[in-house]
Amino acid sequence: MPIGNTQPSVRPAQAGRAGGAVVTPSAHRKGARPRRARGGLRAERYAPYILVAPAVLIIVLLRLYPLLLGVNFSFTGDGEQNGTAVGFGNYRELFADPLFQTALGNVGLLVLLLPVAVAIPGLLATFIYLRVPGHRFYRSVYFFPAVLSPVIVGAIFNMLLAFDGPLNAVLSSVGVGPVDWLGDPDLAMFMVVGVHIWATFGMALVVFLAGFATLDAALLDAARVDGASLRQVVWHVIIPSLSRTIQFVFVTTMIGMLTSMFGLLYVMTTGGPEGSTYLPEYYIWIKQGQMNRPALASAASTILFMIMLVVGLLQIKLLERAGKED
Amino acid sequence: MSRVRLGWWLIAIPMSLLALATIYPLLFTANVAMKTRRDYILDRFSLTDALRWENISTAWNSVGMGRYFVNSLLVVTASVLLLLLLGSMAGFALSQLRFRGSSALFLGCLAGLFIPFQVVMVPLARIMADTALIDTYPGLVLVYVAQFLPFTVFLMTSYYKGIPPEIVDAARIDGSTVYGVYRRIMLPLGTPALLSVGILNALFCWNDVLMALVMMPSAEHRTLMVGVTSLRGQYSDNIPTFASGVLIAAIPVLLVYLFLQRQIADGVAAGSTKG
Repeated sequence: MPIGNTQPSVRPAQAGRAGGAVVTPSAHRKGARPRRARGGLRAERYAPYILVAPAVLIIVLLRLYPLLLGVNFSFTGDGEQNGTAVGFGNYRELFADPLFQTALGNVGLLVLLLPVAVAIPGLLATFIYLRVPGHRFYRSVYFFPAVLSPVIVGAIFNMLLAFDGPLNAVLSSVGVGPVDWLGDPDLAMFMVVGVHIWATFGMALVVFLAGFATLDAALLDAARVDGASLRQVVWHVIIPSLSRTIQFVFVTTMIGMLTSMFGLLYVMTTGGPEGSTYLPEYYIWIKQGQMNRPALASAASTILFMIMLVVGLLQIKLLERAGKED
Repeated sequence: MSRVRLGWWLIAIPMSLLALATIYPLLFTANVAMKTRRDYILDRFSLTDALRWENISTAWNSVGMGRYFVNSLLVVTASVLLLLLLGSMAGFALSQLRFRGSSALFLGCLAGLFIPFQVVMVPLARIMADTALIDTYPGLVLVYVAQFLPFTVFLMTSYYKGIPPEIVDAARIDGSTVYGVYRRIMLPLGTPALLSVGILNALFCWNDVLMALVMMPSAEHRTLMVGVTSLRGQYSDNIPTFASGVLIAAIPVLLVYLFLQRQIADGVAAGSTKG
């Protein structure tokens, strides 16, 4: 791997400072006792591999290999047919299962809600970057739920959204009847996604702010001097300059929605009411753990992986094209 | 100028309402945790009239939160130490040493980033069962390490790329071995990155519920977050005790956030801009 001398990054300055103080003396100390044994040289040649090996082994054995194993497993039978090839049998059963259909439908809902989940942190980051009064305070408050476990977030909202809970108490005091937030099949998924967005927009906010740090301030000043309105600044300066960050947030937010809502689903709705809050990840867990259908669960895992690949690639393509037209 | 000011305040009002919506659920929980059951039923919003710690001790004692707490602490500490060790070793080699196949190995590590746990959950559970690692502490530690290692390697590699290669060359000319360079130079130099990525990994592991649920089926091995999920069934009719249990599980993370907010945000930001 080529080692460049000019790495444009914020961190090297820091590292350089530490390097001047710490490294030089220790390097000299080392020099007092040179080691040049022949066997040593040979061992040295393998040193890079020895340093990388544990990490690579773990990733290959516990990530890449299981991925292939799972795909292979998805074409075999469950239970009595354990291990025998069943072709696309699991996939046929999967797509005929109303629960899995709901799960896929909910993935569609997530895709529709994705722009909201990206626009909220994007706008807030813009205001914070433009130094709205109190921006430091807002940044640390908004980021805070992002460090809480989905289980804790789910438990808190379970309490707030309970049928006899505080939110309905407020509503009834203004004369609106109680709403079964988590018990109504038409509402429950929106509530779970809403809570997920509440809990994670701080992460995206921090990513946006990191993107803003790379923004050329001269561009903004020029726009201001030319008398551009806030909307024009956002539209013509910020969005085009941040296209890579926006792309990154789109992809990671979608992946987050597909893979980190388990805790919320498990605590808030357990997939209900009437299976309306299923997502593929929850389906995989139910089929594997509760129903003892590992091969069927593997087929669902394979579909989930394909969805993630397609979503990632599509978004990169779309956003690249949008970036070119600008 | 005044028109600009007016604009700011129009933005500041929704922003402060959102800040309130962000912080209020937790304040509400903390308040409820201090109330008596009767107080909560009579009025859900009134401020507690006293700091009552008995709900906390009830929650702590009854569902074995203490035990779960220790389990979490053990597994998270071991996972983070292992992640930092393996991540910095690989990151150093991939960024500072020239060797055949290094870019392929780096890509192999990165590929792990795009494979979430859910996708490999079924085969992984089987592998863990076959190797008798299921329901053991080392088993869960390995699963966490495998989950967060790609991210750790990625961050450590980009961090070490910013360190001038002359430092390694100089130490090598002075006769230090590659391992010596790693231990005496790269490890201390990596401290800021290790701190950020270590805190982030600690949060990820501490907050996880799915991996712990799948890999640690027996009750005495439960982690704290899995323990929290069992609170609901236990205290569905006693919300203050339920809230206390939730608060116990949230407090460590709240403390970490209060003191190390900067490092957490830096870690997240580094993960996004190094791409």
